[in-house]
Amino acid sequence: MALPELKEFCRPQSAAELSSVFETYADGALFVAGGTFVHGLEARGLLSGVQALVDLRRMGLDTVSADDRGWRVGATVNFTRLGKMPGIDAPAFGALRDALACPPPQIRNMATIGGSIAASVPFFDVPAALLALDAVVITGTGVASRELPLAGVYTGLFTNSLAPGEYISSVFVPRPAARTASAYLKLETNANDLALIGVAVRVTMDASRRISDPRVVLGGGLNATHIRSAAAEAVLKGATASEELFQRAAEAIGTEIKPMSDHRCSAEYRAAMGKVYVRRALQRAIDRLV
Amino acid sequence: MKKTLVLTVNGERHELQVSADATLLRVLRDELGLYGTKRGCDTSACGCCTVHVDGNSVYACAVYALSVDGSAVTTIEGLGNGDRLDPLQDAFIRAGAVQCGYCTCGMIMSARELLAGTPKPDEEQIRHAIAGNLCRCTGYTKIVDAIKMAAGS
Repeated sequence: MALPELKEFCRPQSAAELSSVFETYADGALFVAGGTFVHGLEARGLLSGVQALVDLRRMGLDTVSADDRGWRVGATVNFTRLGKMPGIDAPAFGALRDALACPPPQIRNMATIGGSIAASVPFFDVPAALLALDAVVITGTGVASRELPLAGVYTGLFTNSLAPGEYISSVFVPRPAARTASAYLKLETNANDLALIGVAVRVTMDASRRISDPRVVLGGGLNATHIRSAAAEAVLKGATASEELFQRAAEAIGTEIKPMSDHRCSAEYRAAMGKVYVRRALQRAIDRLV
Repeated sequence: MKKTLVLTVNGERHELQVSADATLLRVLRDELGLYGTKRGCDTSACGCCTVHVDGNSVYACAVYALSVDGSAVTTIEGLGNGDRLDPLQDAFIRAGAVQCGYCTCGMIMSARELLAGTPKPDEEQIRHAIAGNLCRCTGYTKIVDAIKMAAGS
C-alpha cells in the first residue's frame, strides 16, 4: 500500500485528538478503520495526496445497542461482529445478514460498518442492505454531530456529502415493521470480488400478500452510486405479491439505471442481469415470510 | 518518520520501529524473517498472506502494522509444537493437498480459524471458510479433503 507522501499514522483516542490531527493535515488526512479497501482506492489513484492515515478504531466507536426503535451500531464494529448481533436472523434483517456474509472471513474480520459507507463505493454489499433498511448515519467532527439518511450520503462514484474532517460515528438501523422481510443478492466472479450487480430489497406483506412500503436498492455498477428505484417501488406498492409482479418491478428499473461498463462486464450485461437480480431478490425476501 | 510497534508474534514479544505505511505482511517477512506468510497479490485478493490477529484471520497485506499495535499475531510458523506438526499441516501432507505450495500457508491459517470455532465443519462450511484463499493448482478438492481429515469429519 504505497502512499508516496505519507508521513504519519495516527491513532486518536478522542474526538478532540482527531480534530487536532485534522487541523495539522486537513485534506492530507485519510480516515480509515479496517483499511480493507485502501488498496482499492490507491489502485484507482485516489490517494495521491494522503499524508496521514487516521485510524478511528481507538475512539470508542465500537459499541452496539438495541431498543424498541432499532439498532445503533458503532462505526468501527466489524462485519463478523455485526453478523452475530442477536436478532439478525429475523426476516426483516435478511438483506443485512446476506450482505455481511458476502466477503471472505479475512475481510469480514476487519471491514467496518462505517468504513463500508464512507468509502462511497457502489460495488459494496453492506451499504445496499442498509439503504433498504432506511439506515441513518450519525457523524461527528470533534465539535459537532449530525444525523443524515444514508440515502443522502452519496454524491457520486467515491464521493460523498461528508464535510472535510467529518467522520461517521455510528449507524442507526430502524426496527422494521411486522411482517417485513429483506434480502440482498450479489453477482460476482469469485468470492473476493466486488459486486457486478448488488440488489437489496425490502417488503412488508399482509396476510393477503399485499405489499406495502417496498424498497428496491440497486448497486454494483447499475449506477455511479447506490440508488433506490422509485419506478420499481411504485410497481410493488399496494400490489399483490406474485412472480409476474416481481418481473414487472424488475423491468421498471430500466428507465432509472445508468449502468457502467468496465473490465469486468459491459453496461448491457449489467442492465440485463440487474433485472434478473431484482426479481430474484424480491422472491428471496418473500420466501422468508412464508 | 518511524514509530514504535509492539507485536507478540507466535508468543514472542517484538518491539520494532516501522514506517507509517508498513503493512503487517512487510513487518512479518522483511523485519522478522517469517517467510511462511507469502506475498501473493499484495492487494488483498489471493489469501496467501493470511495470518491471525488476536485469533481472527486477516490479509496481512491489507493491514497497516501500526493499526494492530499491541496485538497477538499468529503465523504458520506458530502452529504445531516443535517438531510436531499441527493436525492441519499433517493432514495437508497426507491428503496431497499441496502442489506448488504458495497458497498452502494461507489456506491452513484460514482452516485453523474455522476449526477453532467449528471443530466438525461440513463441506459447505469448509468451502466458505477458504473462500478468501485462491489456489491455482489443486482445484480445491484435496484441500477440502485435508481439512475434513484434520477435523475428523
